[in-house]
Amino acid sequence: MERKKTKNRREFIRSSMRFGMVLALGGVGGLAFRNAAAGKSVWQIDPFKCTWCGRCATHCVLNPSAVKCVHAYEMCGYCDLCGGYLKVGHSDRSTAAENQLCPTAAINRKFIEEPYYEYVINEDLCIGCGKCAEGCTAFGNGSMFLQIKHDICVDCNECSIARVCPSDAIKRINGPDPYLMKGDFSEPA
Amino acid sequence: MDIKDKIRTAKSTAVVAGAFCILISLLLLLNYVQMQGSDPLESTVMETLVQRLAFEPNNEQLKQEIRELDLLARRAYFTSIWQIRAGGYLLLFASVILVVSLRIYHSLLSKINKPEEEDEDQLAARILSVKWISGGTGILVFVALFAAFTISDPLEIYFARVPDDPEEPGSIRQITISDAPPRTDPVTEDQTAAAPDTGHEQMQEETASTPSPEPAAPSGPAGSATPAASSAFPDENTIRRNHNAFRGPWGQGVIYHESVPAKWDGSSGDNIIWKVPVPLHAYSSPVIWDDRLFMTGADEKVRKVFCFDRHTGNLLWEASANSIPGSPSAPPRTTDDTGLGAPTLTTNGLAVFAIFGTGDIIALDMDGNRLWAMNLGVPDNHYGHSSSLLTHNEKLFIQYDDQNSGRILCLDVRSGETIWDITRDSRVSWASPLMAPVNGQWQLIAKGNPIVAGYNIDDGTELWSVEAMGGEVGPSPAFGGGLVFAANEYSKMVAIDPATGSTLWEDNYYLPEVSSPVYSGGLLFIATTYALVACFDAKTGEMLWEYDTDDIFYSSPVIAGGKVYATDTKGTTYIFEVGREPVLVAKNPLGEEVHTTPAFADGRIYIRGERNLYCIGQ
Amino acid sequence: MRLKTTILAFLLLITSGPVLWAQQQRFPMPEFESGYQYPDAKLPGSGSLAMEYFDVGILVLLLAVTSWLAIKKRSRKWILLLMTGALLYFGFWRQGCICPIGAVQNVALGFSDPTYAVSWFIIALFLLPLLFSLAFGRVFCGTACPLGAIQDIVVVRPVRVPVWVRKSLGMFPFVYLALAVLFATTGTDFIICRYDPFIGIFRMGAEFHLIVIGIGFLLVGMFVARPYCRFFCPYGALLKTTSIFSKNHLSITPSQCIDCKLCKDSCPFDAIDHPTDPKVIGKMKDKTKHFLLYAALIPLLIVVGGWAMSSAHIFLARANPDVYLAHLLVRDPSVMEDLDNLDVQTFLGSDRTVDELVNDATAIQATFRSGAWFTGAFIGLVAGLFLVSQFVIRRRDDYQPNRGDCFSCGRCFKYCPVQK
Repeated sequence: MERKKTKNRREFIRSSMRFGMVLALGGVGGLAFRNAAAGKSVWQIDPFKCTWCGRCATHCVLNPSAVKCVHAYEMCGYCDLCGGYLKVGHSDRSTAAENQLCPTAAINRKFIEEPYYEYVINEDLCIGCGKCAEGCTAFGNGSMFLQIKHDICVDCNECSIARVCPSDAIKRINGPDPYLMKGDFSEPA
Repeated sequence: MDIKDKIRTAKSTAVVAGAFCILISLLLLLNYVQMQGSDPLESTVMETLVQRLAFEPNNEQLKQEIRELDLLARRAYFTSIWQIRAGGYLLLFASVILVVSLRIYHSLLSKINKPEEEDEDQLAARILSVKWISGGTGILVFVALFAAFTISDPLEIYFARVPDDPEEPGSIRQITISDAPPRTDPVTEDQTAAAPDTGHEQMQEETASTPSPEPAAPSGPAGSATPAASSAFPDENTIRRNHNAFRGPWGQGVIYHESVPAKWDGSSGDNIIWKVPVPLHAYSSPVIWDDRLFMTGADEKVRKVFCFDRHTGNLLWEASANSIPGSPSAPPRTTDDTGLGAPTLTTNGLAVFAIFGTGDIIALDMDGNRLWAMNLGVPDNHYGHSSSLLTHNEKLFIQYDDQNSGRILCLDVRSGETIWDITRDSRVSWASPLMAPVNGQWQLIAKGNPIVAGYNIDDGTELWSVEAMGGEVGPSPAFGGGLVFAANEYSKMVAIDPATGSTLWEDNYYLPEVSSPVYSGGLLFIATTYALVACFDAKTGEMLWEYDTDDIFYSSPVIAGGKVYATDTKGTTYIFEVGREPVLVAKNPLGEEVHTTPAFADGRIYIRGERNLYCIGQ
Repeated sequence: MRLKTTILAFLLLITSGPVLWAQQQRFPMPEFESGYQYPDAKLPGSGSLAMEYFDVGILVLLLAVTSWLAIKKRSRKWILLLMTGALLYFGFWRQGCICPIGAVQNVALGFSDPTYAVSWFIIALFLLPLLFSLAFGRVFCGTACPLGAIQDIVVVRPVRVPVWVRKSLGMFPFVYLALAVLFATTGTDFIICRYDPFIGIFRMGAEFHLIVIGIGFLLVGMFVARPYCRFFCPYGALLKTTSIFSKNHLSITPSQCIDCKLCKDSCPFDAIDHPTDPKVIGKMKDKTKHFLLYAALIPLLIVVGGWAMSSAHIFLARANPDVYLAHLLVRDPSVMEDLDNLDVQTFLGSDRTVDELVNDATAIQATFRSGAWFTGAFIGLVAGLFLVSQFVIRRRDDYQPNRGDCFSCGRCFKYCPVQK
């Protein structure tokens, strides 16, 4: 008899605690859902904040990094003397290794017409070091810039590059088109 | 296959898989250590080789070496990535086999045994648990308190400290007059009031007779400097006799001395009067006033002005541009081909004014004592600020275009106070301004991106402006025959009538990238970075001749004694006749790289090479 | 969509553009005589939203099926199979991110930062395992969790861990949870994700030390079963709490325990409670005083914990990059001249002033001061409850799974000789 009583008491405590927890979880969930986002958000680099520090190449959980250089052709000046392609102090404007800025030779330089050249990024080789983006922004139009490629990015809960980004340029963004493209020369207001 | 066989198979599979795992792990570890030790893409060897190539641009063997190393490095990098990936999958595969075989092995061995009878002492276990939980909590509290008392908050004292520290950011653009000797008699009120007037009259006279400052012999009476003149602002004839700014008087690139050396050789010492080492490197050019030659030098740590006796090459004094309020504690980043000392200084015979890539501007008296100094705000300039200074009477002009705005300032030479400060429709540029008489009035003419414009020197009003430039504006404008000429690589060359602001002609066949054009006798000369000097008809823009040189030009051509002096980066000075045909008068090697524009004095040329300063003459 | 915007941009360019454009570009795009057309740079989108719905669906299905398998069907074989499947899917295929364990931080940050919108999918991931735990015990740990699964698979020869070790180390997940919530709410770091030992294995690549730690956990896990789940997992702390009060739970025996003791040592996680020794019950009766004493200690522990943690707030706040940078710059202004210090140089190059940075850092430190109080208080409370629970004894006549510790793996089923 006494045993049964104890059991009932225990059962009562347990179910009331359970009830309390369901309420608590419901409360937490309800409050959280109120501010919930419907869409999907992904990590992306703001090219206007990026300072090409080079950490994208070394701090991504993937090797090589999911950050790649993206080229906005509509912004390119098609210069022969390309700050994104040639080393500062290059001896010649040629495709020779000693003149190329890219450490993996991921930029293809193609002659269009005198004196213009097209620059195409070979993503398989790009390691996202940002050297070309830095050169292009310093000496050219800034048509080369870094972006996180979402066919590669594994979308970590906390981006390990964002954690070390010195200019705080990596943020989560929403939307069906998860890129922050430099479509225009000016920074969007 | 009985149970024993199964156990044996599982065991041997586990052993093999385990050994394989260890092997792969070791290989991966080796790969990691190698990559840590030297990242093939950031190899220092490569960097050194490329740096060497900058000095020997034609060393084919070196190029070959770089190419091979580059290929090797990239191979090493991509192979290592491949190795890590392949090794990772192999390791995973092997571990799965290891785990499965181990599990089978153990499950085959183990049976459901009769459990041991004795139980652990539940009470003792509870007491021990209490001890350890309390102990753990105690350790946590101890660690927290230890951290609390060993780490203090450094921010608390920050705001208490700030007001005492004048070098803290936020206090840019302070003008202070240093405690060095105060301004003395050179500048007194009555004389300064009189000076602009005389200058003005004289100029009007001159422009009435000759519309452009063609080379003219210095006139006798005004030419001889009287002691009294030294305390007033110099008149135009005095300025003509000196070389007080980048590209000579008013920055026009035209020298008024009749006697100019035409033949020298730096390596053999022919016609080299003296040669002294440059005390501190910079890309600025020397300027001359009477017997003194001034130049600047700069690096990450110090910015200095040097004064030499131009007859002997003795260093008379040097002055540092240090402890300037608002000056950045870390200098802005500049490229190696610009540095912090690219702008050329200027002088009016009373004081020397110098500006540096840090935005520091300093005024020194002729003995090197500081008159005033200030910081104009660190320029946001990806190569480094390089526009040179100009001075006229009480005014000091500073073209200060940076990434944020196009800006021109005019300061009072005596105090550094701002006379006017305008923002103009231009982006960052590296050109230097010049001064030219237009309709009898001196104008400040400054290129920018995209404008070429003339400014009223009294209040900075933009008198005319032509959108003609693009790209990275390096060369300065030229003036002559009443016209302004501006040219820039990746853009075009234009001739502008400053009286109307109309464009007379434009062309884009040959364009200078760094070196500035110069005008003389209806002709316009440019020196380019594709190693040639070209001559154009200044009225029509028709190209008259071109001359291929051995090397490219950073130094600007200068007109002296009716000839064009153009020095290429190897240090060879090509002397051409000012004429519609290419007549090379002489080709004079210096034997040292030159990126600066020479300064001229009567019968002398001063060339600042990369390492030495040369005085050339008979 | 993308084509449309391109066309629109192009129209804008030719109607209102050229002059404006020429002004804006340093080197305007040339007019090509050869009729060159630049390539269309199409960028791959992120995975569709459908994938997320699918993941939540899979999770619900897994949890429901596991509950049925653990409580009704009683099949270890199927649980093992499901677990392997979940490991391959959530672990190696979906690469382990985002998981309910890490979702704790997102939910916490969502509460503290109103501008941070947590995706509904993350909230669902966070809530579902807890709700199932309230209903059926820790079925999430049993199959769906890839971190649990990878450890479960490597259990080869488990050893018994003494009670006191389990009890004292068992407190750590709560400490970890409290710290993780503190760091997440202050927007500092997601430490659970950062120190997730197995993510590097799922992705076949991570920082070197994490891989080493992960392999270390697996090697230890061959003998000390599921070490991360038992002694580290912060989400496990929540699951444990909810599971204690679960409505239904897996039982070792399908009907009535005959006290045969065969299952006694069968659990590699030491999660089987033995029948209570009547002698011990008698002795515990004498310990009522202790019980009261420790219960009265709880408020004191809360205050001491809160105070200790709160006084360490500067130390904790240094994990925040802004605070760290501010400390660095204020302590030693000469770092401003260190051209190799990327963080400092980037900061100096930005338009933020030192004053602003110090202000921000001071504000962050203030939130740490109050936040750490709650963290410490929570840890104090947990320590108090752990201590008090040592003096609570319940009469138990048979072998039962410990509801808090049992992962619903079903290993014990085969040890029970009783038939339904």
